Amino acid sequence: MNPSVLLVLLRKDLRLFFANRFFALVTGLALAAYVGMYYLLPAAVDETLEIGWVNPGLPARFADELEGEGVILHSYADAAALRAAVAAGEVPAGVAFPPGLMAALAAGARPTVEIFLAGDVPEELRQVYPLMVEEWVSLAVGRPIQIEAAEQVLGVDRTGQPVPPRDRMLPLFAVFVLFIETLGLASLIAAEVAGGTLRALLVTPLRVEGLFVSKAVLGVGLAFTQSTLLMALTGGLRHGAPQILTALLFGSLLVTGVAFLLASASKDLMSVMSWGVLAMLLLSIPALNVLLPGLVSGWVRALPSYPLVEAVHQVVNYQYGWSQIGGLLLALAGYAAAFLALGVVVLRRRFQ
Amino acid sequence: MNLRRVAVLLYKELRGPKNFIFIMAVVVPVALTLVISLLFGTFLSERPRLGIVDRGRSDLPARAAALESIQARTLDDDRALRAEVARGALDMGLVLPADFDARVAAGEPTELTVFVWGESLLRSRAILGTALLTLIRELAGRQPPVEVVTTLVGEAQSLPWEQRLLPFVVLMSLMLGGLMVPATSLVEEKQHHTLRAVTTTAATLGEVLAAKGLLGVVLSTFMAAVTLFLNRALGAQPALLVGTLAMGATLAAGVGLLLGVLVRDINSLFATIKSLGIFLYAPALVYMFPEIPAWIGRLFPTYYLIQPVIDIVQHGAGPAEVLPDLLILAGLIAALLAVVGLAGRRAMQRAG
Repeated sequence: MNPSVLLVLLRKDLRLFFANRFFALVTGLALAAYVGMYYLLPAAVDETLEIGWVNPGLPARFADELEGEGVILHSYADAAALRAAVAAGEVPAGVAFPPGLMAALAAGARPTVEIFLAGDVPEELRQVYPLMVEEWVSLAVGRPIQIEAAEQVLGVDRTGQPVPPRDRMLPLFAVFVLFIETLGLASLIAAEVAGGTLRALLVTPLRVEGLFVSKAVLGVGLAFTQSTLLMALTGGLRHGAPQILTALLFGSLLVTGVAFLLASASKDLMSVMSWGVLAMLLLSIPALNVLLPGLVSGWVRALPSYPLVEAVHQVVNYQYGWSQIGGLLLALAGYAAAFLALGVVVLRRRFQ
Repeated sequence: MNLRRVAVLLYKELRGPKNFIFIMAVVVPVALTLVISLLFGTFLSERPRLGIVDRGRSDLPARAAALESIQARTLDDDRALRAEVARGALDMGLVLPADFDARVAAGEPTELTVFVWGESLLRSRAILGTALLTLIRELAGRQPPVEVVTTLVGEAQSLPWEQRLLPFVVLMSLMLGGLMVPATSLVEEKQHHTLRAVTTTAATLGEVLAAKGLLGVVLSTFMAAVTLFLNRALGAQPALLVGTLAMGATLAAGVGLLLGVLVRDINSLFATIKSLGIFLYAPALVYMFPEIPAWIGRLFPTYYLIQPVIDIVQHGAGPAEVLPDLLILAGLIAALLAVVGLAGRRAMQRAG
């Protein structure tokens, strides 16, 4: 195909794409919104339980042991000071052990411990604090349970380094950005098919292959540029940039194939939107599974966006390399080739 | 305005083909409600998730299921348990040996197999560990060494996410049906030149607008009521609630009609609605994040549409309490309908 013809077609398509006010607006707005949302989300996960306490005699090593288990203790002089601190929102919960606790326990008494909880502690967590206090005191007075736990950690052990929600959201943002470009391209092609301009172009020396190449280059170019910008602006390219860029390139090819399919089933923006929203929901499911692990079961692996989402997630959040995500990239390349080929065949049937 | 002709036009709208937005207006509120209850009931809950395989007949699974601070469920075998933990559907998995309860009661050393999801938060592990030790202590017949008394302090209140999101879902129900349906229907008719065909008959533009607006009001009032019903938030004043929803739907339909009259094509309409999005949904954001000062919500017209609804369903407000907001809403509706009438007349004059 003649490169100069390709350039002319690309220029024309780009002009048409941005002449559509909706997609012109959404293209910029969506990218800005996703980047903004990323930076608004917390950069770290607070995985600790902060508790204020009045300690009248529990061993000092106790606090150290608890901190290793995710419990941060803040000391207060007496119950009144602790209560005031909880009311002021300094700590969400406070445990006031009574004076002479250890002596009372040694004497066989059952002393009363006061717990102060802030009103905004979720209902489901309110039961945890009494249980914790009972366990601490049981341990402190030497009444351990004779249980030996053989513990196995499954999956990547992120103890102390949980993945922040905003980094879990990145694959979802990437899918959305890729897909919004898909809707734009599908709408452009659908309008050209409905208006007969695609057929008109074939009256010129341009061949069908050239037409598809130009549309594919436009689709891949728009999707890849946007998603790369998203990753660059959110710091997603800090680790494993070659792997991420490869995944995004294959992802762009995949969504371009989907755009061809959408265009072949649609006649205007409304029908592109109706089919597109359905396809977008389906393709977003693997990203939701990264955001909320355990949300869906094994069938999610069959979705074509699964290898894209997993590759991005594993490189960004676990710093995996080629060897770990190679299989995913291969699967993604396969899906991309299949969808592109299917899209070309179906769309060609529609307008010829 | 001839009411009989309005009724005929409304009947035509109801019986005629439904566009994508009409289907979205019906499906989205229901789907969103289901997704939110699924997510916040299980996956986004702060309660850690425990899976138990009981090889005998232990009391522990039933006791764990009764605890409010954790989500516990039983599984059939170790393999399923392991798989659920590995994919993050459970924070922890526990395999109880056949004679577990008897050994614990006898104070004999007992071995447990525990699977821990690598990405489980320290806090979740601490809560689950504490809960399990407490339950095992109960099984062993040991009384906690202390009495715990819990007191809630401070004015802050825990507001579950389901409640925070309710205004957004109700607002979306009202906007999709009330705003989008009349707006897209009008613009589509303009694009297909059917609007001109209808207004060359005895029907006036005012009657066409009234019919389309009524469709939006009826649809969005119904869908908002369905949404509240699904959220078990109908409140104690059904007549007041339906009246308030209908007023809110009228405001939304007024905005939809105005856009439908002013905007020429569907792309521009979507772009305009997208740009207006933050303005329309801003009050819902204020509900979502209590840190945002509540007075900011009052700056947006849609506040007067959603606030009375929330007052009725979440705070049990009666007519006297919601009257001031409803009066402002009525004023906004009157002003908007006057603007729609003016814009409609100008559009007719332009059309010739």
